Amino acid sequence: MSLLKKMMSQLGIEDERLRLDWVSASEAERFAQIVNEMTEQLRKLGPFSPGNGGGNV
Amino acid sequence: MEGAMSKLKLALYWAASCGGCEIAQLLIGDKILKLAEAADIVFWPVAIDAKYKDVEAMPDKSIDVCLFNGAIRTSEQEHLAKMLREKSRVMIAYGACASEGGIPGLANLFNRQTIFDRVYLETQSTDNKEKVVPQTKYKVPEGELTIPEFYDTVRTLAQTVDVDYTIPGCPPEAKTTWLALEALIEGKLPPRGTVITHNAKAVCDDCPRKRDVKKIKKFYRTFEIIPDPEICLLEQGLLCAGIATRGGCGAPCPQANMPCTGCYGPVDGVVDQGAHFLSGVASVIDSNDPSEIDKIIADIHDPVGTFYRYSLPDSLLRRARTK
Repeated sequence: MSLLKKMMSQLGIEDERLRLDWVSASEAERFAQIVNEMTEQLRKLGPFSPGNGGGNV
Repeated sequence: MEGAMSKLKLALYWAASCGGCEIAQLLIGDKILKLAEAADIVFWPVAIDAKYKDVEAMPDKSIDVCLFNGAIRTSEQEHLAKMLREKSRVMIAYGACASEGGIPGLANLFNRQTIFDRVYLETQSTDNKEKVVPQTKYKVPEGELTIPEFYDTVRTLAQTVDVDYTIPGCPPEAKTTWLALEALIEGKLPPRGTVITHNAKAVCDDCPRKRDVKKIKKFYRTFEIIPDPEICLLEQGLLCAGIATRGGCGAPCPQANMPCTGCYGPVDGVVDQGAHFLSGVASVIDSNDPSEIDKIIADIHDPVGTFYRYSLPDSLLRRARTK
């Protein structure tokens, strides 16, 4: 996970776009909370466009 | 190829590459005489004086086979790729740069602006007080001079034109080149789209080193240790790409005590070689303690350059996001 994040930063991908968490099958509320947090976080970042590299990507 | 007696027409071209592929083509040794018996070379900028306009004048599909090496990073290379595709019945991506972007593909961590700034203005050895950077057009008394446009993104040949076959390697081993040329000469080409190599399994399958349990507490760079000559290099903490790389080369690098760097591309069925290599490396780290893991990973200094050394333009992302 931290290796992947290290590589993502080299590729210009925000840290917040990746999250690893564990939720037990009995923790419905926690599951919903994590999904909502992640969705909100991504909404703030906006759409991901890999080709933000200039004119003729 | 109208009759059995007619010779094949062969074209060879280089785009964004180092020239090593041309040397690799000559490494087939005396087999080059067999090639000369079976084929006429109609275009080969490194060796014969045919001009672009000569190729342009050839009828469409009049070249039987084009061996194209190098990635596509300028308008000239794109133009030649398209022209040679039109003129050739069979287009072969020769070598890592044409097939996956290769070493020049690591420029996809940057863009034209940052590359020009670095190369023409910033390096310690640069003496450029007038801050001159290449312009595609320049007026002189005699008229207008032009040079090709330099693109932000390095592309593979297959991202530019249709490619029929791939010969992998940086550069391809002589036996891989001959495997393809022999199939061509005998008219026994494999199904379209094949990556031509002796072994579609991983380099580990070619590698004679002893393999045991892979549990890594520390990674090393090649200059930091002299590895045991018989034990798997990855088990000794060297980032050997053999686990994620197509074989057929015969594993010459591990046999010379150097880790595989991944030049034969992904193994069959894998799209993204770097992600495959990274997940393999992550799985051999022998720790569950996050701070210890961070310490172990700190020894991997350049993840993209290590995992995608030859394949960044051919990866799912193709390039880094740059500002």
